[in-house]
Amino acid sequence: MAGRSNARVPPLSERQWAFLMRVAVRIVPAVADLDAAGRSRFVAIVSKALAERPRPIQHQFGLFLGVLRWAPFLRFGSPFDRLPPEDEDTVLRWFLDAPVAKLRSGFWALRALAFMGYYGQPEVWPSLRYTPSFRGNEMLHG
Amino acid sequence: MDERRYDVVIVGSGAGGGTVAKELAPLCRQGMRVAVLEWGPKLRESEYTGREAEMAEKLYFDNGGFLTRDRAMTLAFARAYGGSTVVYTGTSLPLPEEVLARWGVPGLGHVDLRRRSEKYLGENNVHLLGEETINDNNRRFFEACRTLGYRVEQFPVNVKGCQGSGLCNLGCPNAAKQGTHRVQLPAAEAAGVEVVTNCKVERIGERDCLATVTNPPFGEPSHWPEGRYRIRARAIVVAAGAVNSPALLLRSQLPARLPALGRYFTAHPALILVGEHDRPISNFYGHPKSYYCDHFVESAKFLLETCMYFPFTTAKNLIGFGAEHARLMSRMDRMQMILVLAVDPALAENRIAVDAAGDPVVHYRFTDEVMDALVESQRVAARIFFAAGCTRVHAPAGTGFFIGANEADRLEELITREAFKLGKVSISSAHLMGGCRMGTDPATSVTDAWGQVHGVPWLFVADASLFPMCSEINPYVTIMALADRVAERVRTRLPGLPAA
Repeated sequence: MAGRSNARVPPLSERQWAFLMRVAVRIVPAVADLDAAGRSRFVAIVSKALAERPRPIQHQFGLFLGVLRWAPFLRFGSPFDRLPPEDEDTVLRWFLDAPVAKLRSGFWALRALAFMGYYGQPEVWPSLRYTPSFRGNEMLHG
Repeated sequence: MDERRYDVVIVGSGAGGGTVAKELAPLCRQGMRVAVLEWGPKLRESEYTGREAEMAEKLYFDNGGFLTRDRAMTLAFARAYGGSTVVYTGTSLPLPEEVLARWGVPGLGHVDLRRRSEKYLGENNVHLLGEETINDNNRRFFEACRTLGYRVEQFPVNVKGCQGSGLCNLGCPNAAKQGTHRVQLPAAEAAGVEVVTNCKVERIGERDCLATVTNPPFGEPSHWPEGRYRIRARAIVVAAGAVNSPALLLRSQLPARLPALGRYFTAHPALILVGEHDRPISNFYGHPKSYYCDHFVESAKFLLETCMYFPFTTAKNLIGFGAEHARLMSRMDRMQMILVLAVDPALAENRIAVDAAGDPVVHYRFTDEVMDALVESQRVAARIFFAAGCTRVHAPAGTGFFIGANEADRLEELITREAFKLGKVSISSAHLMGGCRMGTDPATSVTDAWGQVHGVPWLFVADASLFPMCSEINPYVTIMALADRVAERVRTRLPGLPAA
């Protein structure tokens, strides 16, 4: 349901999507192992969540992706997506604990979307040993 | 634009609106017309799937992650036939007498509020679940609190035929939870109240509302055709929740100056904490929220409750990412969870505003006291986890990802305020209160003790936005008791209000 008049705007460009998927693999390593259907579900969940956010938040998120991509240039001389995985993790850890709240919030949003795209898929729940049942009390008693 | 006329229009159908609807339903037998305008849908029973992302989209504003302006906290509140009573765990506690005394609202007495609360405890089948339905996640919390000498109590819950799906926060798939969608609204409709779903009220004018009906691709279609409406009424009751009620009134042109409107918002900011056992425990089967510990409310301003959340919500609430995070997530059957809630002060600066489009914007500043409470609550929760047998604990203010049981005597140095940074930690709230607070002074309150907006005799508020301060407990029964008072006042005042 569109909660606001400015919802349903295509939130990210193809290039931004490719970058987001690259970062998502560092956040949730199992994203790399998703099959085509799993990747589609990931994209569908994240797209929907982003599309329903107010336009200023979509815009800020797009900006944050740009900052995350280019900020490593200052330390490593390369954008994020040309770094080896261990350096990518170093950059992400810096953003997680960044001295500026807006940078921490930006990374929080990125993390949340990656988690939503992966853990929001009921298909992966058995691999987490999470198998809810509508008749939970019956399972409780074996 | 289609125009409709009613004697009473109620905006919102949750704990407040649903209660007012049922209490005013006898007016229909006298030939009066009462309508409830609900923004959200009425889901079909088959649509309660228990799938996290899907249900969050169908039932919550912003998928349950409405962000405060500074992005430091997410707010979870529902839009649905039944409002947030569809998605809470059914925990039902009357407001403690000492909290009401702190509220200090002249004309709002303990005996009156208690009597009304007890009416809904009965009407909504509130009772304690039997011991046989308590899972390990809850039982171990209870036993650990007892071992540590902390006061711990069982939550009364409003369920009928609970099957223990553990999916309460996604809407009960077994129709067991007795929210207003199961009790008050069906009774009101049977007595002649019209409940119009998928109907967003945009603004309130002089005894009228402007609204739009738009059907989403799920749920039952609205009783009204899609389109724009002007709805005239002799009395209007706003019960759209502590974010949307103030926002609606702020974007309306009201014939009164209300400087406190939107202000004194409180939220019980909360953290989900996780401990890990070395073997599986029963946690996601059975009712998720059986016990609470209010031992630290007076001394340290926080409350602890049992809880069990779903994969995405759990993942989001853990700090960090990558392999370490994934390893913990891969063993959800070993997790024990505790929800900690801070008792936050009612500050004028914590407020609901509206942006240029009229959408709500929530300004919330974390005081040092609230931050301290959230940090200390993690230390207490860690003690409970270890006393419950956990081998490792994950604390958002931890200096590392895990704290091992062998480090349990170093919690002061391992869980620190320095590590607890806004924007890094997932702080959430599902107890949204204030913004249209009750009181006698129009400079510091919006309504009187009966929910009537100061200076506007035809306009009432009946939801948690009335709370002048936070409730220090789960708020739903208190909302219903206050809504009962508002309905009584509307009934009394209606004969003196001119026709729409």
